[in-house]
Amino acid sequence: MNSMTTRAERKQKIVLQSITFVILGVAFILMWNVLIKTRVVSMQAVSAAPLPNAMPTNLFSDLYLVLLMSFLAILFGIACAFYLQEWLPETNWVRRLIEGLVAILTGIPSLLFGILAIGIFFSYAGTLKMIGGSPVPQNAEAIPVQHDTTLFYAEALTFILMVMPVTIKTTQGALHSIATPIREAAYVLGASKWQVLKRQVMPLAFTRILAGGCRAMSRAFAAAALLIGIYTWHYTTESGKMPGRFMLFLSGALFLSVLSSTLIETHRSSGRNTVNLPR
Amino acid sequence: MENKIEISDLQVHYGDKSALNGISFDVHPNEILSIIGPAQSGKTTLLKVINRTLEFTPEATVQGSVKLDGVDIDTIGDVYELRRRIGMVLPLPVGLPLSIYDNVAFAPRTAGLRTKSELDEIVERCLQQAALWDEVKDRLNTLGTKLSGGQQQRLTIARALSHQPEVLCLDEFSIAIDPVTTMRIEDVLKTLQTEMTILLVTNLVQQAKRLANRTAFFLNGDLIEIDTTDVIFSDNPANQATYDYVNGTFG
Repeated sequence: MNSMTTRAERKQKIVLQSITFVILGVAFILMWNVLIKTRVVSMQAVSAAPLPNAMPTNLFSDLYLVLLMSFLAILFGIACAFYLQEWLPETNWVRRLIEGLVAILTGIPSLLFGILAIGIFFSYAGTLKMIGGSPVPQNAEAIPVQHDTTLFYAEALTFILMVMPVTIKTTQGALHSIATPIREAAYVLGASKWQVLKRQVMPLAFTRILAGGCRAMSRAFAAAALLIGIYTWHYTTESGKMPGRFMLFLSGALFLSVLSSTLIETHRSSGRNTVNLPR
Repeated sequence: MENKIEISDLQVHYGDKSALNGISFDVHPNEILSIIGPAQSGKTTLLKVINRTLEFTPEATVQGSVKLDGVDIDTIGDVYELRRRIGMVLPLPVGLPLSIYDNVAFAPRTAGLRTKSELDEIVERCLQQAALWDEVKDRLNTLGTKLSGGQQQRLTIARALSHQPEVLCLDEFSIAIDPVTTMRIEDVLKTLQTEMTILLVTNLVQQAKRLANRTAFFLNGDLIEIDTTDVIFSDNPANQATYDYVNGTFG
């Protein structure tokens, strides 16, 4: 109803949107900087030493990347879910489109993401670099640079595709579970939409949102395992053969996969139990 | 004497289904008006129209006008201000996920009150009026959602009183409360009558008889009869259906 949108509410909407965009911007710049820096560090390692020694350096910089990227992607995913669920009506075509895409992406097993990263992002690496600009230092002609930047884009995009949909879906579910009759308890006391979200909906939905974040994180762990797979594939094809190290990293990947599925299971059950709905 | 609430030709539809078919009546200031009637007769819908929470039901359409102190409620720009002027006790007790103290202090705080001493005073007064103070005074900092069903219902009454409303709407406030405590709250309502207008929706016909100055009988979205409680509960109300409902012949 039109009369519902008071001036204060419109103002809140604008503030929320701008906060979202600022977060998005800051997140982008942060990611950009960190990625360039980690790339430079690993490239020095690549240039200073033969290939086998470079692998662990890349691995750790990428684990760091995993944590940072998933944290930012989760924050942005939560913001997205709040906007979709609380501000856009269910019939809105943007909301329906995003929800459809999210449903598809959450349904894809992580293994396919690895194949996707190899198949699509590697193939179109040149185009991606043209869009994003190359973070490669000028004096690095001698190094096989192209593959490093390619890896960076492949990782980044795979991560966002994996973590964001899970976060959006679980956060939306958590918000949806706080039904209108429950919210009315606060509305009848004269609380604004913002106050209801902050004082009532957030405390009730927080545990489930957190569980969703953990699920996304564990998906990211699984992704780390896959990225190790990609690395291994990449470097083994690059340098000929490296069967010993290949086995080492493969077992690491396996361990991370097990860890991730355990995390998913524990948080799925705790997420279900911690929301107390009134009878 | 000017009327507190004037309702004229109010129609509410949920999609194709009609919930209120063009009802008109006035509520006098400082009276207790009880609204009785079987389920599906539009009692709760009426209260939702008055504080404009029906706007959360997307398929509901409202026609006609409701005036509070002579001002049409649809023209009130700040809907939150309107809701603060109307206290509402819903039949389903929902504790806010806050401490008991913060539950009661929620509305004064959203209205901008920050002084600790004033808040303390309001919390104690409202909890006493809702007959809950003695049970919870030693544990005001525990979570409000941890209380029992009946206690939570009294907590919602305390919350509704906390913003000193002009109109207090009670929707089945006593379904989970024991008879003795209900009597205590009813006594409080009688004294509150000097400060505010009370709309009492109830399924307990005897409660309406005990408390109300006037009683309105609703049936299937129509206002069958509104008159002083003495007339409604007498042997000859204007409508036969009223007599039958009040005396338990049907409903």
